[in-house]
Amino acid sequence: MLQQVLNGLAIGSVYAIFALGYTLVFSILGIINFAHGAVFTLGAYFTYTLLGGVFGFNGLLANGQLGIQLPFVIALPLGSVLAGLIGVLIERLAFRPLRLRGADPLLTLVSSLGVAVLITNLIQYLVGAEIYNFPADIYGTLPKAVNFGTAGAPVPVRTVQLVIIAVSVVILIALTAIINYTRFGKALRAVAEDATTAGLLGINTDRFILLTFFLSGFLGGVAGTLIASSVSIAGPYFGIAFGLKGLAVIVLGGLGEIPGAVLGGLVIGLAEAFVPPQYSGYKDAVAFAILFAVLLVRPRGLLGRALVQKV
Amino acid sequence: MTEFFATNGFLIVSMTLAATLALSLYLPLMAGQLSLAGPGFYALGGYIAAVLSDGKHFTWQGDLYPVPLVLLEMALAGLVCAVAAVIVGVPALRLRGIYLALATIAFVEILRVVSLNVEITGGAVGIFGIPQPYNDPSKLAYLWLAGPLLVGALLFTARLERIRVGRAFIAIREDELAADAMGINPTGYKVLAFTLGAGLAGMVGALSAHFINTWNARQGTFDAGIALLAFVLIGGSRSALGPVLGAMILTALPEVLRQASDTGGLPAWLGQFMKDGRLIIYGGLLVLGTVFLPQGLITPALFERRRRKPPAAPVGAKGEPPL
Repeated sequence: MLQQVLNGLAIGSVYAIFALGYTLVFSILGIINFAHGAVFTLGAYFTYTLLGGVFGFNGLLANGQLGIQLPFVIALPLGSVLAGLIGVLIERLAFRPLRLRGADPLLTLVSSLGVAVLITNLIQYLVGAEIYNFPADIYGTLPKAVNFGTAGAPVPVRTVQLVIIAVSVVILIALTAIINYTRFGKALRAVAEDATTAGLLGINTDRFILLTFFLSGFLGGVAGTLIASSVSIAGPYFGIAFGLKGLAVIVLGGLGEIPGAVLGGLVIGLAEAFVPPQYSGYKDAVAFAILFAVLLVRPRGLLGRALVQKV
Repeated sequence: MTEFFATNGFLIVSMTLAATLALSLYLPLMAGQLSLAGPGFYALGGYIAAVLSDGKHFTWQGDLYPVPLVLLEMALAGLVCAVAAVIVGVPALRLRGIYLALATIAFVEILRVVSLNVEITGGAVGIFGIPQPYNDPSKLAYLWLAGPLLVGALLFTARLERIRVGRAFIAIREDELAADAMGINPTGYKVLAFTLGAGLAGMVGALSAHFINTWNARQGTFDAGIALLAFVLIGGSRSALGPVLGAMILTALPEVLRQASDTGGLPAWLGQFMKDGRLIIYGGLLVLGTVFLPQGLITPALFERRRRKPPAAPVGAKGEPPL
């Protein structure tokens, strides 16, 4: 029971971090960035590369390896920063040109889908579709699992899961502090509330949109790295599936609601952890069943504001 | 010429089927609704055909599977998909915005997980050896079924644009609130547009199952939805011809690139990239297309210029040039 709760919390907190990346962009632009799943994948590959991982024999970079091998505590933030920079690039190339023209949101959505397809297949072209595992010794001398039970009735929880929970908590606290208590956060909230007015009041909205994309990409990169460290990098497509689940998380929490993304992530993570083993094949459908239920019962999500129709 | 058709039979039929499938995405888009469920209904239709033609449900004489039974399967698949579309569409389409896209993504994923886990679909392995209605190794004979389906769907859609229902769709696309105020029921029409598309996708799926000969959970994925979207947006999302053209070009593109890269004259790396990097090119086209060509290749302006060819009536004279 405790084991399932901790596993659920671990995966749920990664969902939360990942979904926050969607939410930040949505709260400012009102658009879902479908390339977020691809950035998640990229983050994992970046960290793998920085850890000194070797690529397989398929793809353009066959058998490639970086000259340096960084420890995990450095590779994780650095890989995520790189993912954040990719987020910035995506904003410049796929979002900004359309925004300046005042294009239909549907078009922006499609161009972000295009970016997702582009990145995913570029990865496959460069490093092939193999599964990559992080080196086993990334946590140094820490034991593989921690026993939460007694010696007679062991309740082992993998150290990875505990690390994930710890990292997630730190990031969530930092993000909450930034958004609620700094000038930057205040400006960010102002842009999210009304970009035009914020611009008139002297906030450089363009810069804040860029920073939001950086933050969103960073969060995606952290989430990708954490999942990869817990399971593996299951090929270039592994972020797509995760990205789709992230959509269920933000709908459940309420589109554009930051606490909602956290709550939604934890709920879906726990729900998946409690799927009975004999139905484990259906585990991947749980998030989407929840999405449907939310659309039926409470479309604005758990913590969402009432849907206002602006004319 | 006959040799061309014999060697490219599979491609020609694939292009026809892709064009019809693109129309199935265009229909909800007429009402401004982005649906990524096309591959889901396509997969569902295919499973219906694959299961029904396993020899236990219908019996037939001879080696070839009777064409009327294929038609029956297509009709049935269309009907089942339409019913499923109502069930999926009603909760999502009460809401404005991107909820339909999200709900359809959920639908496709749930369908994929279920088809991987239940027995009737053959699990992860899928269904093999779906019977063939034609004895034609090039598969070109399938054009007898795929061709009329495309022409029928195209005529239906083009006609729809001119009648009351289609105009209601377009009114909702342009401004849902205004359409609502004009007495158009947005939810009803949006569900109708979505259902029509789903039925069409199901019919294409049923035919494709025979055409491809095997069917599995890889047939209806999120990726396939993106490819469809590329067809429609590159071709042009404002008229029925656009999706058809886009689907034909983009389906033929990899094969053309492959043959072009084989004929030599291209640098080796470029030829290799054209073969392996097809989806990279798709993704790039989607981004560039939305940025530089937001209306696609075929735009309404193209038609207007043609129609306005006869000299316009003098200013102030009665009678606008016919639209």
